[in-house]
Amino acid sequence: MAFRAWILALSLLLLGVRCRAQESLFFVTYTHHMEEPGNLEVETSSATGIPRDGQQLYFAPYVEFEYGVTARWTSEVYLEGQSTAGDNAVFTGWRWENRYKPMDREHWINPVLYLEYEDLNEASRIQKEVEGGGPDLTSRNALLTSQRDRELESKLILSRDYRDWNISENFIVAKNFSKSEGLEFGYSFGASRPVGRIASGTNCRFCRENFIIGAEMYGGLGSTLGFGVTGTTHYIAPVMSWMLSDSSNLRLSTGFGLTHESNPVLIRVGYSYELQGFGSKISKFFGRRP
Amino acid sequence: MKAFIAGLGLIVTCGAYLFTQHLNYQPDRNWRAPETAASRANPLSARPETAAGGRKLFLRNCAECHGNNGAGMATKHSADLQLPIVQRQSDGTLFWKITNGNPAHGMPSWSKLPELQRWQLVQFIRTLKSPSD
Repeated sequence: MAFRAWILALSLLLLGVRCRAQESLFFVTYTHHMEEPGNLEVETSSATGIPRDGQQLYFAPYVEFEYGVTARWTSEVYLEGQSTAGDNAVFTGWRWENRYKPMDREHWINPVLYLEYEDLNEASRIQKEVEGGGPDLTSRNALLTSQRDRELESKLILSRDYRDWNISENFIVAKNFSKSEGLEFGYSFGASRPVGRIASGTNCRFCRENFIIGAEMYGGLGSTLGFGVTGTTHYIAPVMSWMLSDSSNLRLSTGFGLTHESNPVLIRVGYSYELQGFGSKISKFFGRRP
Repeated sequence: MKAFIAGLGLIVTCGAYLFTQHLNYQPDRNWRAPETAASRANPLSARPETAAGGRKLFLRNCAECHGNNGAGMATKHSADLQLPIVQRQSDGTLFWKITNGNPAHGMPSWSKLPELQRWQLVQFIRTLKSPSD
Protein backbone atom coordinates (compact mmCIF):
# COMPACT_ATOMS: atom_id res chain seq x y z
CA MET A 1 0.00 0.00 0.00
CA ALA A 2 2.77 2.39 0.97
CA PHE A 3 4.59 1.47 -2.22
CA ARG A 4 1.51 2.37 -4.29
CA ALA A 5 1.25 5.68 -2.47
CA TRP A 6 4.87 6.43 -3.32
CA ILE A 7 4.31 5.55 -6.98
CA LEU A 8 1.23 7.78 -7.07
CA ALA A 9 3.07 10.62 -5.38
CA LEU A 10 5.99 10.30 -7.79
CA SER A 11 3.63 10.26 -10.79
CA LEU A 12 1.93 13.42 -9.57
CA LEU A 13 5.32 14.98 -9.00
CA LEU A 14 6.38 14.21 -12.55
CA LEU A 15 3.12 15.50 -13.94
CA GLY A 16 3.69 18.73 -12.07
CA VAL A 17 7.07 19.47 -13.53
CA ARG A 18 7.44 21.33 -16.78
CA CYS A 19 9.24 19.86 -19.67
CA ARG A 20 11.71 21.25 -22.11
CA ALA A 21 13.74 19.69 -24.82
CA GLN A 22 17.49 19.83 -24.62
CA GLU A 23 19.68 21.08 -27.41
CA SER A 24 22.70 18.83 -27.09
CA LEU A 25 23.45 17.18 -30.41
CA PHE A 26 26.40 14.83 -30.11
CA PHE A 27 26.37 11.26 -28.85
CA VAL A 28 30.04 11.09 -27.92
CA THR A 29 31.49 14.60 -27.87
CA TYR A 30 30.67 16.85 -24.94
CA THR A 31 30.29 20.59 -25.22
CA HIS A 32 30.62 23.16 -22.42
CA HIS A 33 26.84 23.48 -22.19
CA MET A 34 25.65 22.08 -18.90
CA GLU A 35 22.29 20.80 -17.79
CA GLU A 36 20.22 23.61 -16.32
CA PRO A 37 20.21 23.50 -12.50
CA GLY A 38 17.40 21.41 -11.05
CA ASN A 39 16.46 19.83 -14.39
CA LEU A 40 16.46 16.09 -14.97
CA GLU A 41 16.90 14.70 -18.44
CA VAL A 42 16.01 11.07 -19.08
CA GLU A 43 17.37 9.66 -22.28
CA THR A 44 17.24 6.28 -23.90
CA SER A 45 19.72 5.67 -26.69
CA SER A 46 21.22 2.83 -28.62
CA ALA A 47 24.21 1.95 -30.76
CA THR A 48 23.68 -0.62 -33.50
CA GLY A 49 26.81 -2.01 -35.08
CA ILE A 50 26.63 -3.27 -38.65
CA PRO A 51 29.26 -6.01 -38.86
CA ARG A 52 32.12 -6.74 -41.21
CA ASP A 53 33.69 -10.19 -41.63
CA GLY A 54 34.35 -11.80 -38.27
CA GLN A 55 31.96 -9.45 -36.42
CA GLN A 56 28.32 -9.91 -35.43
CA LEU A 57 25.42 -7.50 -35.63
CA TYR A 58 24.73 -6.05 -32.19
CA PHE A 59 22.30 -3.70 -30.53
CA ALA A 60 23.50 -1.86 -27.44
CA PRO A 61 20.85 0.21 -25.63
CA TYR A 62 21.44 2.46 -22.64
CA VAL A 63 19.45 4.73 -20.43
CA GLU A 64 20.84 7.92 -19.01
CA PHE A 65 19.70 10.20 -16.17
CA GLU A 66 21.29 13.63 -16.34
CA TYR A 67 20.75 16.10 -13.53
CA GLY A 68 21.85 19.71 -13.24
CA VAL A 69 23.15 19.89 -9.67
CA THR A 70 24.17 23.53 -10.09
CA ALA A 71 24.68 25.78 -13.09
CA ARG A 72 28.30 24.56 -13.19
CA TRP A 73 27.97 20.92 -12.16
CA THR A 74 26.11 18.19 -14.03
CA SER A 75 25.89 14.60 -12.87
CA GLU A 76 24.76 11.58 -14.88
CA VAL A 77 24.08 7.90 -14.29
CA TYR A 78 23.99 5.33 -17.09
CA LEU A 79 22.71 1.78 -17.23
CA GLU A 80 23.64 -0.21 -20.31
CA GLY A 81 23.30 -3.56 -22.01
CA GLN A 82 23.74 -5.25 -25.37
CA SER A 83 22.37 -7.99 -27.52
CA THR A 84 24.41 -9.71 -30.22
CA ALA A 85 23.07 -11.73 -33.15
CA GLY A 86 23.72 -15.43 -32.61
CA ASP A 87 24.65 -14.72 -29.01
CA ASN A 88 22.73 -13.64 -25.92
CA ALA A 89 21.57 -10.33 -24.40
CA VAL A 90 23.53 -9.11 -21.41
CA PHE A 91 23.61 -6.27 -18.91
CA THR A 92 26.99 -4.65 -19.32
CA GLY A 93 27.16 -2.33 -16.32
CA TRP A 94 26.74 1.22 -15.10
CA ARG A 95 28.55 4.53 -15.18
CA TRP A 96 28.48 7.63 -13.04
CA GLU A 97 29.87 10.77 -14.56
CA ASN A 98 30.33 14.33 -13.36
CA ARG A 99 31.11 17.44 -15.32
CA TYR A 100 32.29 20.68 -13.79
CA LYS A 101 32.65 24.01 -15.52
CA PRO A 102 35.31 25.97 -13.65
CA MET A 103 34.81 29.33 -15.36
CA ASP A 104 31.99 31.72 -14.63
CA ARG A 105 31.73 33.41 -18.02
CA GLU A 106 31.85 32.44 -21.66
CA HIS A 107 35.37 32.62 -23.03
CA TRP A 108 37.12 32.10 -26.34
CA ILE A 109 37.56 28.49 -25.27
CA ASN A 110 35.52 27.07 -22.42
CA PRO A 111 37.04 24.19 -20.48
CA VAL A 112 34.96 21.62 -18.63
CA LEU A 113 36.43 18.93 -16.37
CA TYR A 114 34.92 15.48 -16.58
CA LEU A 115 35.32 12.51 -14.26
CA GLU A 116 33.54 9.18 -14.62
CA TYR A 117 33.55 5.93 -12.71
CA GLU A 118 32.59 2.86 -14.72
CA ASP A 119 31.71 -0.59 -13.46
CA LEU A 120 31.32 -2.47 -16.72
CA ASN A 121 32.28 -5.73 -18.32
CA GLU A 122 34.11 -6.22 -21.59
CA ALA A 123 30.82 -6.81 -23.43
CA SER A 124 30.01 -3.07 -23.27
CA ARG A 125 29.44 -1.77 -26.78
CA ILE A 126 27.57 1.50 -26.40
CA GLN A 127 30.82 3.28 -27.22
CA LYS A 128 29.86 6.40 -25.34
CA GLU A 129 33.51 7.14 -25.81
CA VAL A 130 36.32 5.18 -27.38
CA GLU A 131 39.61 4.86 -25.56
CA GLY A 132 42.56 2.55 -25.98
CA GLY A 133 41.86 0.20 -28.87
CA GLY A 134 38.07 0.31 -28.60
CA PRO A 135 35.66 -2.51 -27.72
CA ASP A 136 36.18 -6.18 -28.57
CA LEU A 137 33.68 -6.78 -31.39
CA THR A 138 34.59 -10.38 -32.16
CA SER A 139 34.56 -12.42 -28.91
CA ARG A 140 31.44 -14.06 -27.50
CA ASN A 141 29.44 -12.49 -24.67
CA ALA A 142 30.03 -15.40 -22.28
CA LEU A 143 33.75 -14.66 -22.36
CA LEU A 144 33.40 -10.88 -22.37
CA THR A 145 30.98 -10.66 -19.42
CA SER A 146 33.38 -12.64 -17.27
CA GLN A 147 35.95 -9.88 -17.61
CA ARG A 148 35.08 -6.96 -15.38
CA ASP A 149 36.27 -3.41 -16.02
CA ARG A 150 36.36 -0.94 -13.17
CA GLU A 151 37.58 2.20 -14.74
CA LEU A 152 38.17 5.82 -13.86
CA GLU A 153 37.92 8.05 -16.85
CA SER A 154 38.75 11.72 -17.14
CA LYS A 155 38.19 14.12 -19.99
CA LEU A 156 39.24 17.61 -20.77
CA ILE A 157 36.39 19.18 -22.68
CA LEU A 158 37.21 22.28 -24.69
CA SER A 159 34.33 23.95 -26.42
CA ARG A 160 33.48 27.16 -28.15
CA ASP A 161 30.42 28.82 -29.66
CA TYR A 162 31.29 30.92 -32.66
CA ARG A 163 28.69 32.51 -34.93
CA ASP A 164 26.07 29.87 -34.07
CA TRP A 165 28.56 27.08 -34.59
CA ASN A 166 29.66 24.96 -31.68
CA ILE A 167 33.11 23.45 -31.95
CA SER A 168 34.16 20.99 -29.25
CA GLU A 169 37.14 18.76 -28.56
CA ASN A 170 37.42 16.09 -25.87
CA PHE A 171 40.66 14.49 -24.74
CA ILE A 172 40.25 11.26 -22.81
CA VAL A 173 42.50 9.51 -20.30
CA ALA A 174 41.20 6.33 -18.67
CA LYS A 175 42.65 3.98 -16.09
CA ASN A 176 41.31 0.45 -15.77
CA PHE A 177 41.81 -0.76 -12.19
CA SER A 178 40.88 -4.34 -13.09
CA LYS A 179 43.71 -4.90 -15.56
CA SER A 180 47.22 -3.74 -16.25
CA GLU A 181 46.50 -1.80 -19.41
CA GLY A 182 48.34 1.34 -18.43
CA LEU A 183 46.62 4.61 -19.12
CA GLU A 184 44.36 4.55 -22.18
CA PHE A 185 43.77 7.53 -24.43
CA GLY A 186 41.04 8.65 -26.75
CA TYR A 187 39.65 11.69 -28.47
CA SER A 188 36.50 13.09 -29.97
CA PHE A 189 35.65 16.33 -31.64
CA GLY A 190 32.59 17.73 -33.28
CA ALA A 191 31.02 20.75 -34.92
CA SER A 192 27.34 21.60 -35.02
CA ARG A 193 25.00 24.33 -36.08
CA PRO A 194 21.27 24.99 -35.78
CA VAL A 195 19.44 24.91 -39.11
CA GLY A 196 17.27 27.90 -38.23
CA ARG A 197 18.74 30.92 -36.47
CA ILE A 198 15.51 32.75 -35.65
CA ALA A 199 12.61 31.25 -33.70
CA SER A 200 9.23 31.55 -35.31
CA GLY A 201 6.36 32.88 -33.26
CA THR A 202 4.22 29.79 -33.68
CA ASN A 203 4.50 26.35 -32.15
CA CYS A 204 5.64 24.12 -34.94
CA ARG A 205 7.30 20.75 -35.23
CA PHE A 206 9.02 21.08 -38.58
CA CYS A 207 10.37 24.63 -38.21
CA ARG A 208 14.02 24.97 -39.13
CA GLU A 209 14.83 26.16 -35.62
CA ASN A 210 13.94 22.68 -34.27
CA PHE A 211 16.79 21.02 -36.13
CA ILE A 212 20.50 20.96 -35.39
CA ILE A 213 22.99 19.29 -37.67
CA GLY A 214 26.64 18.50 -37.26
CA ALA A 215 29.32 15.87 -37.38
CA GLU A 216 31.62 14.28 -34.87
CA MET A 217 34.71 12.13 -35.05
CA TYR A 218 35.96 9.88 -32.27
CA GLY A 219 38.37 7.08 -31.65
CA GLY A 220 41.03 5.49 -29.49
CA LEU A 221 44.66 6.49 -29.29
CA GLY A 222 46.08 3.39 -27.64
CA SER A 223 47.65 3.44 -24.22
CA THR A 224 50.91 4.02 -22.42
CA LEU A 225 51.80 0.46 -23.46
CA GLY A 226 51.39 1.37 -27.12
CA PHE A 227 50.37 4.86 -28.15
CA GLY A 228 48.95 5.53 -31.62
CA VAL A 229 46.07 4.83 -33.95
CA THR A 230 47.24 1.40 -35.14
CA GLY A 231 44.73 -1.31 -34.24
CA THR A 232 42.23 1.16 -32.79
CA THR A 233 38.62 2.08 -33.52
CA HIS A 234 37.70 5.34 -35.24
CA TYR A 235 34.43 6.74 -36.55
CA ILE A 236 33.24 9.80 -38.37
CA ALA A 237 29.55 10.46 -37.89
CA PRO A 238 27.07 13.00 -39.23
CA VAL A 239 24.53 13.80 -36.49
CA MET A 240 21.08 15.34 -36.53
CA SER A 241 18.82 16.46 -33.71
CA TRP A 242 15.11 17.20 -33.96
CA MET A 243 13.16 18.85 -31.17
CA LEU A 244 9.95 16.84 -31.39
CA SER A 245 8.17 18.91 -28.77
CA ASP A 246 9.02 21.22 -25.90
CA SER A 247 9.61 18.11 -23.83
CA SER A 248 11.36 15.71 -26.15
CA ASN A 249 14.20 15.44 -28.56
CA LEU A 250 15.24 12.85 -31.11
CA ARG A 251 18.83 12.39 -32.27
CA LEU A 252 20.15 10.30 -35.10
CA SER A 253 23.68 9.51 -36.15
CA THR A 254 25.26 7.23 -38.72
CA GLY A 255 28.90 6.63 -37.97
CA PHE A 256 31.28 5.28 -40.56
CA GLY A 257 34.15 3.15 -39.35
CA LEU A 258 37.55 4.34 -40.51
CA THR A 259 39.64 1.34 -39.53
CA HIS A 260 39.35 -2.42 -39.85
CA GLU A 261 38.75 -2.72 -36.09
CA SER A 262 35.65 -0.47 -36.33
CA ASN A 263 32.20 -1.48 -37.46
CA PRO A 264 31.67 -0.35 -41.07
CA VAL A 265 28.53 1.46 -39.91
CA LEU A 266 27.46 2.41 -36.39
CA ILE A 267 23.89 3.69 -36.14
CA ARG A 268 22.89 5.64 -33.08
CA VAL A 269 19.40 6.73 -32.06
CA GLY A 270 18.56 8.71 -28.94
CA TYR A 271 15.31 9.97 -27.47
CA SER A 272 15.42 12.35 -24.53
CA TYR A 273 12.81 13.83 -22.27
CA GLU A 274 13.60 16.72 -19.99
CA LEU A 275 11.84 17.52 -16.75
CA GLN A 276 12.25 21.13 -15.65
CA GLY A 277 12.31 21.97 -11.98
CA PHE A 278 12.64 18.33 -10.96
CA GLY A 279 14.99 19.13 -8.09
CA SER A 280 12.74 21.76 -6.54
CA LYS A 281 9.71 19.46 -6.80
CA ILE A 282 11.63 16.73 -5.02
CA SER A 283 12.73 19.21 -2.34
CA LYS A 284 9.14 20.33 -1.83
CA PHE A 285 7.97 16.74 -1.70
CA PHE A 286 10.33 16.06 1.19
CA GLY A 287 9.36 19.30 2.89
CA ARG A 288 12.60 21.10 2.19
CA ARG A 289 13.04 24.58 0.84
CA PRO A 290 13.84 24.35 -2.89
CA MET B 1 -23.14 33.63 -5.95
CA LYS B 2 -21.39 33.97 -9.31
CA ALA B 3 -20.09 37.38 -8.32
CA PHE B 4 -18.78 35.93 -5.06
CA ILE B 5 -16.94 33.14 -6.89
CA ALA B 6 -15.56 35.62 -9.44
CA GLY B 7 -14.43 37.93 -6.63
CA LEU B 8 -12.84 35.07 -4.75
CA GLY B 9 -11.08 33.95 -7.94
CA LEU B 10 -9.73 37.46 -8.47
CA ILE B 11 -8.46 37.69 -4.90
CA VAL B 12 -6.81 34.29 -5.13
CA THR B 13 -5.23 35.16 -8.51
CA CYS B 14 -3.91 38.51 -7.26
CA GLY B 15 -2.74 36.91 -4.04
CA ALA B 16 -0.94 34.16 -5.91
CA TYR B 17 0.64 36.75 -8.20
CA LEU B 18 1.88 38.84 -5.31
CA PHE B 19 3.03 35.76 -3.43
CA THR B 20 5.08 34.40 -6.29
CA GLN B 21 6.41 37.69 -7.66
CA HIS B 22 9.92 38.44 -6.51
CA LEU B 23 9.27 41.95 -5.23
CA ASN B 24 12.43 42.07 -3.14
CA TYR B 25 14.73 41.19 -6.01
CA GLN B 26 18.18 42.70 -5.57
CA PRO B 27 20.54 42.43 -8.54
CA ASP B 28 24.03 41.03 -8.14
CA ARG B 29 26.25 44.11 -8.25
CA ASN B 30 29.21 42.11 -9.50
CA TRP B 31 27.29 40.82 -12.53
CA ARG B 32 28.18 43.54 -14.98
CA ALA B 33 28.55 43.45 -18.72
CA PRO B 34 31.78 44.90 -20.15
CA GLU B 35 31.23 48.25 -21.85
CA THR B 36 31.82 46.87 -25.32
CA ALA B 37 29.12 44.23 -24.75
CA ALA B 38 26.72 46.67 -23.11
CA SER B 39 26.88 49.04 -26.07
CA ARG B 40 25.90 46.44 -28.65
CA ALA B 41 22.68 47.19 -30.48
CA ASN B 42 19.98 44.62 -31.07
CA PRO B 43 20.24 43.56 -34.73
CA LEU B 44 16.53 42.71 -34.66
CA SER B 45 15.38 46.09 -33.39
CA ALA B 46 13.93 46.89 -36.83
CA ARG B 47 11.95 43.65 -36.81
CA PRO B 48 9.57 43.87 -33.83
CA GLU B 49 7.58 40.90 -35.13
CA THR B 50 10.42 38.60 -34.03
CA ALA B 51 9.48 39.25 -30.37
CA ALA B 52 6.78 36.57 -30.79
CA GLY B 53 9.53 34.01 -31.30
CA GLY B 54 11.24 35.48 -28.25
CA ARG B 55 8.10 34.83 -26.22
CA LYS B 56 8.11 31.20 -27.31
CA LEU B 57 11.78 30.86 -26.34
CA PHE B 58 11.13 32.59 -23.03
CA LEU B 59 8.28 30.24 -22.12
CA ARG B 60 10.39 27.26 -23.13
CA ASN B 61 13.64 28.18 -21.42
CA CYS B 62 13.17 30.97 -18.89
CA ALA B 63 9.65 30.77 -17.45
CA GLU B 64 10.53 27.91 -15.10
CA CYS B 65 12.53 30.38 -12.98
CA HIS B 66 11.29 33.82 -14.04
CA GLY B 67 7.60 32.93 -14.37
CA ASN B 68 5.46 33.20 -17.48
CA ASN B 69 5.13 36.95 -17.00
CA GLY B 70 8.79 37.46 -16.13
CA ALA B 71 7.95 38.64 -12.61
CA GLY B 72 10.53 36.32 -11.06
CA MET B 73 10.01 33.90 -8.23
CA ALA B 74 11.06 34.46 -4.65
CA THR B 75 11.54 30.72 -4.17
CA LYS B 76 13.98 30.60 -7.09
CA HIS B 77 15.69 33.91 -6.22
CA SER B 78 15.20 34.84 -9.86
CA ALA B 79 15.09 38.36 -11.20
CA ASP B 80 11.83 40.21 -11.70
CA LEU B 81 12.36 41.21 -15.30
CA GLN B 82 9.53 43.75 -15.14
CA LEU B 83 11.35 45.95 -12.65
CA PRO B 84 12.80 49.25 -13.88
CA ILE B 85 16.21 48.16 -12.59
CA VAL B 86 16.16 45.43 -15.26
CA GLN B 87 14.32 47.33 -17.97
CA ARG B 88 16.75 50.24 -17.69
CA GLN B 89 19.63 48.03 -18.75
CA SER B 90 20.74 48.24 -22.37
CA ASP B 91 19.89 45.57 -24.93
CA GLY B 92 23.57 44.67 -25.07
CA THR B 93 23.70 44.17 -21.30
CA LEU B 94 20.68 41.87 -21.30
CA PHE B 95 22.14 39.95 -24.23
CA TRP B 96 25.45 39.55 -22.40
CA LYS B 97 23.68 38.35 -19.25
CA ILE B 98 21.64 35.80 -21.17
CA THR B 99 24.76 34.61 -22.99
CA ASN B 100 27.04 34.29 -19.97
CA GLY B 101 24.62 33.55 -17.19
CA ASN B 102 25.59 33.97 -13.56
CA PRO B 103 26.36 30.39 -12.47
CA ALA B 104 27.29 31.32 -8.92
CA HIS B 105 23.75 32.65 -8.45
CA GLY B 106 21.94 29.89 -10.34
CA MET B 107 21.47 31.62 -13.70
CA PRO B 108 22.78 29.28 -16.42
CA SER B 109 24.49 30.43 -19.58
CA TRP B 110 22.24 30.34 -22.65
CA SER B 111 25.02 30.51 -25.19
CA LYS B 112 23.67 27.24 -26.58
CA LEU B 113 20.90 29.25 -28.22
CA PRO B 114 21.81 30.82 -31.57
CA GLU B 115 22.80 34.47 -31.28
CA LEU B 116 19.70 35.82 -32.99
CA GLN B 117 17.46 33.81 -30.69
CA ARG B 118 19.15 35.42 -27.70
CA TRP B 119 18.42 38.81 -29.24
CA GLN B 120 14.82 37.66 -29.67
CA LEU B 121 14.73 36.98 -25.94
CA VAL B 122 15.97 40.53 -25.30
CA GLN B 123 13.20 41.82 -27.55
CA PHE B 124 10.60 39.87 -25.62
CA ILE B 125 11.94 41.00 -22.25
CA ARG B 126 11.35 44.56 -23.43
CA THR B 127 7.65 43.78 -23.74
CA LEU B 128 7.34 42.65 -20.12
CA LYS B 129 5.42 45.16 -18.06
CA SER B 130 4.17 44.97 -14.51
CA PRO B 131 0.34 45.14 -14.13
CA SER B 132 0.67 48.56 -12.50
CA ASP B 133 2.39 50.10 -15.55
